[in-house]
Amino acid sequence: MNKTVNINLAGIFFHIDEDAYLKLQRYLDAIKRSFTDSQGRAEIIADIEARIAELFSERLLNERQVIGVKEVDEVISIMGQPEDYLVDDEIFEDEPQSSSTQTSRSSKKLFRDTDNSYIGGVSAGLAHYFGIDVIWIRLLLILLVIGAFGTGVLLYILLWILVPEAKTTAEKLMMTGEPVNISNIEKKIKDGFETVSETVSGVAKNVSDSVSDAAKKVDLKNQGSKIKSSSRTFFDTLADVIMFFFKLIAKFVGIILILAGAASLIALIIGLFSLSLTNVIPGVEFLENVNAGNSPLWLATLLVFFAFGIPFFFLFYLGLKILINNLKSIGKIAKFTLLGIWLISIIGISIIAINEASEHAFTERYIEKNPIRIKANDTLIVTVSENNLFRNKYNHNNEFKVKTNENGEKTIYMNDIFINVRSTTDSIATLQINKWADGKTYEKALARAEKIDFHFEVNDSNLILESFYSTLAKNKYSNQDVTIVLYLPVNSVVYFTKSTESFLNYRTHSNNIVSSDQVNHYLKIDHDRVICDTCDIEIEEDQDFEIEVDMPDVKINNQGIEVKNNGKSVLKVDENGFNAESENIKVKIDSTGINISSEAQPK
Amino acid sequence: MKIENTKAQMRKGVLEFCILSVLKDEDAYVAEILDTLKDAKLLVVEGTIYPLLTRLKNAGLLNYRWEESTSGPPRKYYGLTETGKLFLNELNTTWSELQNAVNIVTNQKANKNE
Repeated sequence: MNKTVNINLAGIFFHIDEDAYLKLQRYLDAIKRSFTDSQGRAEIIADIEARIAELFSERLLNERQVIGVKEVDEVISIMGQPEDYLVDDEIFEDEPQSSSTQTSRSSKKLFRDTDNSYIGGVSAGLAHYFGIDVIWIRLLLILLVIGAFGTGVLLYILLWILVPEAKTTAEKLMMTGEPVNISNIEKKIKDGFETVSETVSGVAKNVSDSVSDAAKKVDLKNQGSKIKSSSRTFFDTLADVIMFFFKLIAKFVGIILILAGAASLIALIIGLFSLSLTNVIPGVEFLENVNAGNSPLWLATLLVFFAFGIPFFFLFYLGLKILINNLKSIGKIAKFTLLGIWLISIIGISIIAINEASEHAFTERYIEKNPIRIKANDTLIVTVSENNLFRNKYNHNNEFKVKTNENGEKTIYMNDIFINVRSTTDSIATLQINKWADGKTYEKALARAEKIDFHFEVNDSNLILESFYSTLAKNKYSNQDVTIVLYLPVNSVVYFTKSTESFLNYRTHSNNIVSSDQVNHYLKIDHDRVICDTCDIEIEEDQDFEIEVDMPDVKINNQGIEVKNNGKSVLKVDENGFNAESENIKVKIDSTGINISSEAQPK
Repeated sequence: MKIENTKAQMRKGVLEFCILSVLKDEDAYVAEILDTLKDAKLLVVEGTIYPLLTRLKNAGLLNYRWEESTSGPPRKYYGLTETGKLFLNELNTTWSELQNAVNIVTNQKANKNE
């Protein structure tokens, strides 16, 4: 008596004995394992099943008959053993595998070992590939995760994606480096990949075999039984060694590429994440305000990420490909998609850059004129008010700060102010404020310039200027600039306090008659110049000067006067006093008094 | 080196050519192709042919259509594509050249041995 199973083979219904069923199943499994997906496994199996169904149908006399072991055996003998399928494929392989039976070492390929996996089988696969115990790979990965800021995670994910899983028995054998032949495949199927230790020890054996290859050859030579071949084996070994070094160099390059690619990718990803958390990083605020073209910041960031990330990804991929022969291709679609994204990113960045640049196409000025009641003979005192915003008021540059103003609006504060002074024949002084800004068009530049806020205060004869100007953040930073032109009537007097020093020009020129040197002095305005009565009297201490004298032995400078004779100082007048020396007399006048000494020269 | 392997390889080397030749005049389904090949003793077991047919089909040399069968599952009828016909012509030339070459070589050997 026998239990029967109902099966569906290529759409045909069969009753089959249980033991016959198991046999058929094993047979089909063995065939399935000898193909890879790329060979069209599913289709081949479907065809084979259809043929088996046909053969069964021929053998059945009526529908109620049951298929037994005998029929299955017959069919198998017609169809052939699994190796008949496999050997066939090797012959017709497009790339002939050069003596794959000889070099068991090179036939070892990297696969993911999902039978021994914790996550994706990457570690186990690497362990097979390198012929070491999986625990070391896992340890290294964990170290990379903890020690190198998650590098391990990224590496693992990339390997997971790129390294193919060992699915067929043939691949599993390749993974462990065992030669792919039918007896091994059968063995594997029987083992069912139950024992990890077996495969690992198999790998270890394989590696030790290949490592001790050269040693074996030497042994053979020593035995003297094959003296003839000794020179040949020597050169073989030499060639092996040279090849080994070449491979080593290639792998080294691969490792460098992987490291460079991975490091750059990590840096970019970190950059992307931190930028996406806007307002957490101070730099973002800067970008947002400089971004006069109003291009979406996230888009720009993403484009930059792709523009730089994709080349680095390919670098990484190349490195991996050098290291691992059978790396799963990311596929043409993926490659071209990445290339497309990269090109789009480059174009996008260019557009944004042009857009941003065009924001600076026009520089325009908005002029504000304010009369000040200062007449001839009046004195105007100009001060710049203290502020806490720009702590270092002497460091007067293009920097800007973003703060919230009293109305709770985000405001950009800048301090790029210059004060120019000019004389005027008008009877009254004028304070002209020139506000500059860039814009895409003349109108936009002018509108932006108009939106600059700058305040000053006139109170009796005091002019108090604010040390900064501002504009709302929504107007964006676009080279906003404020120049103050103070037109003063001739014969009026102006006094710039020390606080204005950094806002005045260093030198006077045709448009400016007051320089920053002239602060803290009363300056009388004349036609296109100022008259300073007190300026020249004050001699700055510590100012270096030197009067050029045509004689190299005479030196007159801020230190004093020095005359030298044959390199020896003969006359010196300096802060210490007076000192004159000749061959046999010395005259010295200093804080201790007058000292004259003569030396009697022995004759 | 096993004699069996060499034999098998020689047979299988021309198998592609033979399959295309079988399909030269009319479409056929697998069992028919197999019958022809088995009659010619080119094929011992049937399994060999399936990966081969898939390969030829994927290479664009063959195409197939389904036909219902009264006695079993639907049958795949294979036929040559235009590329397949060109391919077959090429192989025909190569084969006659090869045949000629092998004849010359083997006959020379035979003459020397005598």
